[in-house]
Amino acid sequence: MSSQIPAYAQERLKGLRSSAHSTGVFTSDFSVNEFLLVRKAGFEPIGLCVGTCVYHVGIQYGSWKKNEELQVLSKAMYHARELAMARMRAEAQAMNADGIVGVKLTIKRLEWDENLLEFIAIGTGVVHGDGHKGFRAHDGGPFTSDLSGQDFWSLLHSGYRPVEMVMGSCVYHVAHRGMFAAMGSTGQNVELENFTSAMYEAREIAIERMQHEASAAKAEGVVGVDIHEGSHGWQTHVIEFFAIGTAVLPLDQEIAPEKIADPIMVLSVND
Amino acid sequence: MGLFDWLKQGSDPETRAAKEASVQRQADIQQSLRGGRVPSDIATRLEQARTGKQPWLATLTPAELLIARSHGLKPIAAISATCWLHYGWSWTQGHAQGWEAALQRLRAEARACGANAVVDVKMRSIALAVKDSMDFTLVGTAVKVDGLPPSDQPIIATVPALEFVKLLAADIVPTGIAIGAHYEWMTDWRNGAKMTWMGNVESRPLSQLWETVRQRAHAELRKHAASQGNGVLAHINFSQMFEREVDKQPTQYLGRHIVVATVVDVPRTQGSQGYVRDHGRSGDTVSAQEFKMVVDIHAGKTPLTGTTRHHQAYYSNDEEGAI
Repeated sequence: MSSQIPAYAQERLKGLRSSAHSTGVFTSDFSVNEFLLVRKAGFEPIGLCVGTCVYHVGIQYGSWKKNEELQVLSKAMYHARELAMARMRAEAQAMNADGIVGVKLTIKRLEWDENLLEFIAIGTGVVHGDGHKGFRAHDGGPFTSDLSGQDFWSLLHSGYRPVEMVMGSCVYHVAHRGMFAAMGSTGQNVELENFTSAMYEAREIAIERMQHEASAAKAEGVVGVDIHEGSHGWQTHVIEFFAIGTAVLPLDQEIAPEKIADPIMVLSVND
Repeated sequence: MGLFDWLKQGSDPETRAAKEASVQRQADIQQSLRGGRVPSDIATRLEQARTGKQPWLATLTPAELLIARSHGLKPIAAISATCWLHYGWSWTQGHAQGWEAALQRLRAEARACGANAVVDVKMRSIALAVKDSMDFTLVGTAVKVDGLPPSDQPIIATVPALEFVKLLAADIVPTGIAIGAHYEWMTDWRNGAKMTWMGNVESRPLSQLWETVRQRAHAELRKHAASQGNGVLAHINFSQMFEREVDKQPTQYLGRHIVVATVVDVPRTQGSQGYVRDHGRSGDTVSAQEFKMVVDIHAGKTPLTGTTRHHQAYYSNDEEGAI
């Protein structure tokens, strides 16, 4: 489905590419500062790119006393996000964008069915003002990144360019404690090793998956890594570890690293 | 169909192998943590990040990456540590114990990837309600300083990279986290805390309880900080008081206070008077910085100030400082 964009959408996308001309209209969700900085970085916004996916998440229960990854849920979260992202990227490709800046990835639960999740990816497609193709991802398609316009500018000025928004996810069931275990530890502070190791394993799986995506994108590093936990209305002991960041590559021809200006340090007087 | 394959889980060899691997991995994690080592899978990942076989991971924002690069810091890996503690004995003391354990583990991971420091260390707690327990999680970015050999005792800085560099530029090294925690029960034998009088009057027993609890917590903080540096910045103050009424017995009050702070090491060569005297003279570290008006182009929360989000483990019922 991702490659078949409806006719009316294609019409809309066609118009956007000419946005640099006086007749075109571009759409974006940039703030004023973001817009100015993206332009300062040498890029022009051409249009909002959207990808969405409503997904029925399979049902899986963890066994009560076991720490384990819930693979059905993990795969669902992964697959659905990927679908939304791929559709957004297809829109960007259709408008011939070099990349997408400020991608927001959100998940909503649909009210009437607790197993239905809606995944939305939205960002602003941009093109390089001079038609440089060196900013595209390793597969020649548009780069994706969740960086804001300011972050995008800062990243280019630190000598890197965004390649791909990478993520890793692990939905994990944390074991329940037995009654006897709970009674045995009254009167002292003890570490619940079982819980600790559950956190360690789940987080490690998520980080490794993200790192794997980054090396598949042939990136040098990942910036803005956020590792967090969340629950999307699952049972109390089920938790999703999610790692997300922007894979980056050093700029080689676009801006010579030695041309990077030393930033001016500022001490702000207000907190 | 892919979807139906998942439903048959447990029967196919792939899933079974994954489950077995998971059991082994967890056993290894527990063994390693008990022995104060980094779990093998993590150690492998950190080793690959150290040698450049895998992409580096950094929790830094692009602006922070920019400043890190211009100051010779190179990110190696995003590292983390957790200690899930059950409070069978004391909730309050558990906080000192839990953070300390997490801190040691984070340091071990930093050592494993050959770092000189860990910046942008965030204190986190996972919202998974398990009775009488809490997890103490630290997440940060291990960095290498150009031209320095790997440290045996990497610095743990609870400030973002921007503030880390700002402090370094002023010749101040953020070195770690200090925690002071104290609680005390007070049994109100004479029923002095119950206010029956209508007028304005201080509740002395409760005032006194707070005095003691807070002073002890701060004394603990000083003690903990002294082993890492010579000052602390920006406290998080967390305090609670409870009343417990027991039938036919005097009322009891519990006061608890937790202070968390970033430890810094400030050179004392100039002395406080020296700083004032030298103020404005060029060449001095702190006073050498010029103050200029600038327009911050960052919409919303500026990355230049404020690190409140770094300590979201406490929902804090107190005013917080910048750090």
